[in-house]
Amino acid sequence: MFLSRIVLRDLDSIDSPVSMASSKKLVTRDEWERKLRDVKIRKEDMNRLVMNFLVTEGFVDAADKFRIESGTQPDIDLATITDRMEVKRAVQSGNVQEAIEKINDLNPTILDTNPQLYFHLQQQKLIELIRAGKINEALEFAQEELAPRGEENQAFLEEIEKTVTLLVFEDIKNCPYGELLDVSQRLKTASEVNAAILTSQSHEKDPKLPSLLKMLIWTQNQLDEKAAYPRINNFSTATLEDPAI
Amino acid sequence: MPSTASGGGGGGAWPESESETAAAASPSPSPSASSPTASYCMGSRPEELTARLAVNAGAGGGGGGGGGGDGERERVRTLREIKNQIIGNRTKKLQYLRLGAVPAVLAAMAEPGASPAALVQAAAAAGSFACGVDDGVRAVLEAGAVAHLTRLLAHPDEKVVDASARALRMIYQSKLAPKFDVNNEKNMEFLLTLLNRENENVTELAANIISHSCNSSTEQLALCAAGVPQRLVNLFGGSMNLRDACLHSMTAIIRNNWEVASRFALMDHGKALCSIVALIHDRSPRTRLLACLCLIALSHASPCHFQDRQIKTKLILVLLELIEEPGHVGDDAPLALTTLIKDSVELQKQALSTNAVLKLSNHLLANSLESRRAVTILLALAELCSKLEESRYQLMSVQASTLIIDALKHTCADIRVAACSCLKNISRSSKVLSAGKLSCDTFIAPLVQLLYDSSTSVQVAALGAICNIAVNLTPRKSILLHSGAVSQLVHLSKSMDPTLRLKAVWALRNIMFLLNPKGKDFILKELTLSTLSSLICDSEHFVQEQTLALVHNLVDGYVDAVDYVIGDDCTILNAISRQLNNAPAPGVCIQGMFVLANVAAGGELNKEAVMNVLVPRRADHIKSSFVLNFLQSKDKQLRVATLWCILNLIYPKCEASSVRVVRLQNTGLISQVKGMINDPCLDCKVNTPRFPPVQLRVRMVLEHCLDNADDGFM
Repeated sequence: MFLSRIVLRDLDSIDSPVSMASSKKLVTRDEWERKLRDVKIRKEDMNRLVMNFLVTEGFVDAADKFRIESGTQPDIDLATITDRMEVKRAVQSGNVQEAIEKINDLNPTILDTNPQLYFHLQQQKLIELIRAGKINEALEFAQEELAPRGEENQAFLEEIEKTVTLLVFEDIKNCPYGELLDVSQRLKTASEVNAAILTSQSHEKDPKLPSLLKMLIWTQNQLDEKAAYPRINNFSTATLEDPAI
Repeated sequence: MPSTASGGGGGGAWPESESETAAAASPSPSPSASSPTASYCMGSRPEELTARLAVNAGAGGGGGGGGGGDGERERVRTLREIKNQIIGNRTKKLQYLRLGAVPAVLAAMAEPGASPAALVQAAAAAGSFACGVDDGVRAVLEAGAVAHLTRLLAHPDEKVVDASARALRMIYQSKLAPKFDVNNEKNMEFLLTLLNRENENVTELAANIISHSCNSSTEQLALCAAGVPQRLVNLFGGSMNLRDACLHSMTAIIRNNWEVASRFALMDHGKALCSIVALIHDRSPRTRLLACLCLIALSHASPCHFQDRQIKTKLILVLLELIEEPGHVGDDAPLALTTLIKDSVELQKQALSTNAVLKLSNHLLANSLESRRAVTILLALAELCSKLEESRYQLMSVQASTLIIDALKHTCADIRVAACSCLKNISRSSKVLSAGKLSCDTFIAPLVQLLYDSSTSVQVAALGAICNIAVNLTPRKSILLHSGAVSQLVHLSKSMDPTLRLKAVWALRNIMFLLNPKGKDFILKELTLSTLSSLICDSEHFVQEQTLALVHNLVDGYVDAVDYVIGDDCTILNAISRQLNNAPAPGVCIQGMFVLANVAAGGELNKEAVMNVLVPRRADHIKSSFVLNFLQSKDKQLRVATLWCILNLIYPKCEASSVRVVRLQNTGLISQVKGMINDPCLDCKVNTPRFPPVQLRVRMVLEHCLDNADDGFM
């Protein structure tokens, strides 16, 4: 958040003295770097951003090491990350029932108050049964567990229909809705689970760093219309590139 | 006794829970010993699990060790299995309820030697039963869950405390949960101990209990006096979920209570208020919405402490932004906006100046009409159009108006209702109406179609819109007349539902207004005199009133229409006479007298017919005429209508009129009129430019009486 504010403030100071009608203001590398040096970013703030990322994404070991090294306290009990990651891993490896039970141990109100998530987990369970070729079991599960959810909600019904389509085809990888069997479907469900657990722990479900990066891109785009300046094009190295004149 | 606080947890129990606890202890199913064959049968069907749980009851308590032994492990496993099956699964909950599993789960909680693990599982299962299924809530309450779970809030094991607090929160989410009486001193003390606990699950529970139980002003004042608002504000510093719960309960404490609201506004030199204002810019959308709702409640409860226009403008802006949020927040934001601007022209103008109409309608245009949000947005638009002409114009712009037409034809009844509300409020504008934008087939046809809707609320809403559109349709009434509306309106006027009858007759009345004679005949043919007369004698006086107003519009400006009233053996006139003699509601009398006045304006035949209503020619007539009462009525309009009627009876001067004057005089009517000139409540200055109508008519009646009876009787 503060990063973008700093850039915007600079933008003002660049903008004001310039009144050349068409040509953009040119900011040299030296000038730019001098300005950047003037910007004071507190180390603790940077550390908190990093910690927020590690915690939200569930890198528990890294978070713990980072805590020891930087002295930054996480805003959540690290033990809960381990639990959350176990749930996530269970979904990613297709053990949906295990995931459900772990979520319920963590906080029994999550799935009761989040019907969509519960449905998606049940749907994932059906997908896993189909993937394993347990056709009878899959049919029974669809009838007994999923059908009642479809009666409660039209959108769920459509999802069930798509999923059950998988049972009709022999070559399920290439049938319509075959993408349900992709790893990406598991990841989608896993990230939904992750977000729900985070919300139940009063934690924001997305880390702050990516949105900061988005703001940087937006700000650079805005700035491009007004000035030529050393731009960051490669976000993994964050090197400043000389302005093209 | 479970109501004493056990030391470790630092909590307490419901002071009033003894009776509940006693009731709950009894149903624990207790077979004398656990049967090993049954407990080793590892099925997972609800029948088996329920049976196993019942068999296991008492297994853990035997040794007194609390948690040891196979029996206890088995019970924890069974409870956990049941819990995992029912969470999120309505069907399973109902199945277990039918099997009577709830008392068994609660019995496990009541077990003196129960292990923390068993208590956690049992509490979670009980909480889940209470979530989303009313029968579940009832079963859990009947089994004494509140008392047990409350007792467990003082358990030394934090996990047990967490599980119990969560389960209680589930229970208090339901409307069926008993109210927590904060007027009881001990209860209040207990609530305060909960609010002061470290455990956020417990403090959140306390906030939920307040939201659930606080709705009378004495309760609000009691909570305020106990310092609860201050404590809630302090808890804003906690986790996001806790803060949201506190905001919600703060709203409950403030709502509609001037005293609490103004005390809160001044609390800590306004710091508490500022902390809520700050939260309307919070990162979490839900928090922003709850903070807005709290401030809206505050501004309604105590307008004088909330005059800052800037904050209100901010509220409007924040709420308009929140509409873009997914889920409940985005759905409820338009409702909050509606509450905020309701009945305030100033705020509606402010909303309009922030482009509210455009933003709301653009959101509808950009998204499908498939959600609850469409309903709430349409209702907010309707509110914006309730008073402001400019809003109506904006909404009637090309794109948005097609949207409303789509909404009228939508499969969801609530969306149809909301669209009708929009049209009703737009059609309050005489300019929109006279521009003819609404009186075209594109709007009329779907509206008329809605008169056939299967949902009564849709029919009522459609009638509301048609009523308004009909008023000013003068040059274009034929569209409505030939749309098939009339026959359905007639049909609805015979409905069992009084609201439908009322609105249907009202719509007919408005269509009848200034209609050409041909149109009037057409409606009467559809309606029939017998229906009309039974509507005049309807069981509900508001229907009677509208029906008489309909007759009033019928005879107004259409001389021959009087035949409908006095023809057919005076069916209609007799019905009116019956109603007036029964002295019903003033509205009915007024409309009835206007009809009579209109009829009396006609020829001798008409005048005589009306005369017979006012002064029946019966030998045994002793009862004083109802007209006497009307002249003494407190209602000015009724006096005017009655005087008009009398005036029309004795005008113009002729022999027949003189005879009528004598008849009126004999019943004491004329002297009553004479008395009215000195009536203190009519003691208005005769010379003022705005001549009071009653007094004017009094003078006119008296002058004509003098003219008619030459020698004078005054």
